Amino acid sequence: MKTRDAARRLTIVLPWLALLVLLLLPKLGLSSNAVRLLFITAVWTTTSIGWNLLGGIAGQVSFGFAVFYGLGAYSTALLMHAGRSPYFAFLGSAAVAVLASYLIGLPTFRLRGPYFAIATIGVTEAVRVVMNNLDITGGSSGYRITEAGPFNQLVHYYTAIVLVAVAVMVSYLVVHSKFGLALRAIKQDEDAAADIGVNPYSSKLWIHAIAAALTGIAGGVYARYAAFIYPGNVFAFQTSISILLMPVIGGIGTIWGAVLGGIVFGIIEEELVVYFPNVHLMLYGVLLIVIVLLEPDGLMGLLRRLFRRKSSEDSGSADADKVLWGRSRLEGREL
Amino acid sequence: MTAIDYVNLLISAFLLAGVYAAMSVGMTIIYGVMKIVNLAHAGFLMLGAYFAYELFEHFHIDPIIGAVLALPVFFLFGVAVHWLLVRWLPKSDTPTLSSLLLMFGFWLVLQNIGYIVWGNTEQSIFTPRTVSTINFGEISISTLRLIVFVAAVISLAVLQFIFAHSWFGRSMRALIQNPYAAQIVGVDDQRTARLTFGLGTAFAGFAGSLLAMLYSFDPDFGRSFLLRAFVIIVLGGLESITGAAIGALVLALVETFSIMVVPAGYQPAISFALLVVVLLVMPKGIAGLLQKRWRFV
Repeated sequence: MKTRDAARRLTIVLPWLALLVLLLLPKLGLSSNAVRLLFITAVWTTTSIGWNLLGGIAGQVSFGFAVFYGLGAYSTALLMHAGRSPYFAFLGSAAVAVLASYLIGLPTFRLRGPYFAIATIGVTEAVRVVMNNLDITGGSSGYRITEAGPFNQLVHYYTAIVLVAVAVMVSYLVVHSKFGLALRAIKQDEDAAADIGVNPYSSKLWIHAIAAALTGIAGGVYARYAAFIYPGNVFAFQTSISILLMPVIGGIGTIWGAVLGGIVFGIIEEELVVYFPNVHLMLYGVLLIVIVLLEPDGLMGLLRRLFRRKSSEDSGSADADKVLWGRSRLEGREL
Repeated sequence: MTAIDYVNLLISAFLLAGVYAAMSVGMTIIYGVMKIVNLAHAGFLMLGAYFAYELFEHFHIDPIIGAVLALPVFFLFGVAVHWLLVRWLPKSDTPTLSSLLLMFGFWLVLQNIGYIVWGNTEQSIFTPRTVSTINFGEISISTLRLIVFVAAVISLAVLQFIFAHSWFGRSMRALIQNPYAAQIVGVDDQRTARLTFGLGTAFAGFAGSLLAMLYSFDPDFGRSFLLRAFVIIVLGGLESITGAAIGALVLALVETFSIMVVPAGYQPAISFALLVVVLLVMPKGIAGLLQKRWRFV
């Protein structure tokens, strides 16, 4: 019992400790390349957390998050071009992404499970085609972002870290609220949820909006750093896939699974690709197959299994597991 | 636009519909029997294209014969994939997320193998037939498209025959209608699923070879066709071969005639937009819509 309390205290302390370390790291003389890696990883992790809110907690798998990421990136680019401060531009990105999430969700949330997923593939591809042809975005040749003042990597880094922290907090608040319970009910059985007084349609729209806002801001933060964006990059189907892969790798339906997935993915995407440029798609593919067939709870499930084996008396009942980690099984009932 | 132009467009739409139907039946039967949304279909289409290409380049085998050869090869491949991966999926009478992600992961693997083996340059198969046409007065038909259309229609007819008149076809239909009742009366669902997956993959390879004759291809080849196949099978009500044929015709007509109203740059968005609209307006497809009407009458 004592050890479990200690473990629980650890799970509360650990995130704050991690945040502190992340904020102090650049002061310890990290190379700018390492800061870049951490920055990109933080941006990816934010999108992962955003996706996990809709896909993991509410159980609505979307292949369409590149839309929000791309719209966020372009909104920031256009607002900064109009002379607004970048932070105002991020808010603009969030607003645009929320609006888009509403417009997309309004029709597509009438569909369920895989049909919703397939419809989002269609939406993403259609949006990318349109963005490739619009004049305001510079079409397929891309858009250059100019920011007044010298380039300061640390500003970008801290923005991203704060964004991740906010995303985790939002996730935490959602999961531990009545709204979060409603979302879980929808994930388990939409009809049953409707019977006990949850409105699945509006709940899904709300969580879609929250997830889109986080993803949109992440897109904006990325655009400000990259200083050059084009539809083939931010609106790519590949971006949607990346955003979906992270929570699945980490452990779908858990906050820390999404974070872990984002970190692992960021490191693979930014570092391993350099060494194995020819097989990175295969890497994701095999990872996905292995996770679906062998460990549907992803890395989080794997960790939990290891943890349990070491101290079996600690992990308590399945019920405690559910409270601690959130349940996640990629099975038919939960679609 | 003159009447002749309209006739020409109409003919090309019909010819296109043939390939589209061949391309989507594989997905239809796999969905029908196993309720798996087979995203790896795009990978199979791509492999089929390269299969015909390799045979043509190295052994100078006519791509039409290559397409026919693709049938048995991809059948075995499909059976192997089912044995290796698909049969471990949890059974369900509605499509599951795990099946979607599994097939998606397998597609990524196939695509990556394509990039490793063939690189990312576009390839195409060029034969003397590629540019020849048959002319009836002012109406001209591409010979190649006509041949591809005929091949596609023959394959569909054979499939429809298997579906309607063989024991295997009957067990497929039984599983589509009611998997539980089918098992009660002695249909071996694992065996039927395995053969169905093989057959669906065979048709994907076949259609990929046919498409390779018409379009240039690279390892990312299948993606746009995958989405078209989705539109078609959703239009067709997801579970019937005739439905897929009707869906293919509708999509081909919409794509062909939309050239007159939609700017060329936006052309690729049509099938995607149609996909969303169709999913929303008639989730049971055209047949479902008709049934609904009839129930009212």
